[in-house]
Amino acid sequence: MDMTGHQYGNDPSNLSLIKALLIVLAGLCTTDSLATEADFRSTVVEPYIEMHTQAGRGYPVFYVAERGESVQLLKQRTDWIKVGNSRGIEGWVHVDEIGRTLDQAGEPLKLTSPGLNSFHRRRWEFGFMLGDYQDTDSLSSYVGWHFTRNLSVEVTAGETFGDFSDGRQASANLVHQMFPYWRYSPFISIGGGIRQTNPRSTLVTAEDREDYTAGIGAGIRIHLTRRLILRLQYKHNVVLTDRDDDEEVTEWNIGLSAFY
Amino acid sequence: MEYWTQRFLLTTVCLCGLTTPALAQQMPPSIEVITPEVERREITRAAIDTEDFEIGVSAGLISIQDFKAETTVGLRAAWHVTEDFFFEAYYGSSQGDQTSYEQLSGGAPLFTEEERDYQFYTLSLGWVVLPGEIFILDRYAFKSDFYLIGGAGSTEFLGDSWFTVSIGAGYRLLLNDWIALRIDVRDHLFDRDAFGVEETTNNIEVTTGLTFYF
Repeated sequence: MDMTGHQYGNDPSNLSLIKALLIVLAGLCTTDSLATEADFRSTVVEPYIEMHTQAGRGYPVFYVAERGESVQLLKQRTDWIKVGNSRGIEGWVHVDEIGRTLDQAGEPLKLTSPGLNSFHRRRWEFGFMLGDYQDTDSLSSYVGWHFTRNLSVEVTAGETFGDFSDGRQASANLVHQMFPYWRYSPFISIGGGIRQTNPRSTLVTAEDREDYTAGIGAGIRIHLTRRLILRLQYKHNVVLTDRDDDEEVTEWNIGLSAFY
Repeated sequence: MEYWTQRFLLTTVCLCGLTTPALAQQMPPSIEVITPEVERREITRAAIDTEDFEIGVSAGLISIQDFKAETTVGLRAAWHVTEDFFFEAYYGSSQGDQTSYEQLSGGAPLFTEEERDYQFYTLSLGWVVLPGEIFILDRYAFKSDFYLIGGAGSTEFLGDSWFTVSIGAGYRLLLNDWIALRIDVRDHLFDRDAFGVEETTNNIEVTTGLTFYF
């Protein structure tokens, strides 16, 4: 385990060790394909790129890679990419700056910080919602997968907390967004699920029960910034009970989601 | 006279220069012998190892209102959306002891052992409000984050589930790129009517833990 954190400058003893390791590795990696899989290099074409000591805009710039210098892309965390140069100096560069460097074929790297364009192209969406489920507090989280620009499948699991009972529910929904390129993107949904109701332990007579549910909904997703979405939705559910009448339940939710 | 000669010569040279490309265009196009087959390799987000997720374990103390402070253990998973914000899911478990009343009165216990299991989860949004770096000796620098965190969840205690709001703050120290030490303080608030009267309870938890980025 490397406990050194970030090191300023380069340490000659470490460097020789790294060199030795590299030579051994180079000997092992005889085929080209192996080397290209693990090694992403890019060349600086702007006058310079700034390396920060840590992944964050406030951290000091301790090294400047100049035009023509080649850097290796090591890993990414949020909008920051850890790079290393041939002299063993490692630092964090913002993804937008890396996006302006050139790869081995001389093409600019297709890397940018996420924005509205990424929102349009998102594949995965994850979030949690707070709301009102027929006058009881509710809490839920969901995962969505967009298989076309307009359509996505969402799986939601949640809990409700009432004065007389609490419940758990899970549902699967098909969600259609009419205008995928809008920042304020409305959607409609249809789905079904299961709901478990547990009466409060202070009520001695009632029993736990489990029912199927069906529901339709409508709402809007608003791209806030970067990877964040604000989500507002209304849902009308029918709980298919064993009793004579089915229960009709309205549900309002506000949520915060992130996409990928 | 000399001037006219110069002008004539220059015009001729210029005309030749202009007509030459035109002549070249009239020639048949050369046959391309080799078609360049350069494989374009696009570095996309997927090609670089992204480490936006953090999972870990934690242990500490929780002071359950009307009960004693008890040890707690937990699991946490976070997704760092930007350098400033992260989502976190946290599951914790503890066990409530006897209430002060039960201890003093010496009567029959109010709750069964199973009902005293204290389990909760919260879904939170964290805001790294004070990112920083700390220094040890001359050459080591570690990244640190002080964050505020808030969210909602559920607590299962005394036989029921209670809607819980969690607020708190924490400190994360990255030992290297992917191992972090954490100290967290949370207040888990929920309304409870297990004693007959509905009351808001504050259940303050202090934990320390180790998390790993991947």
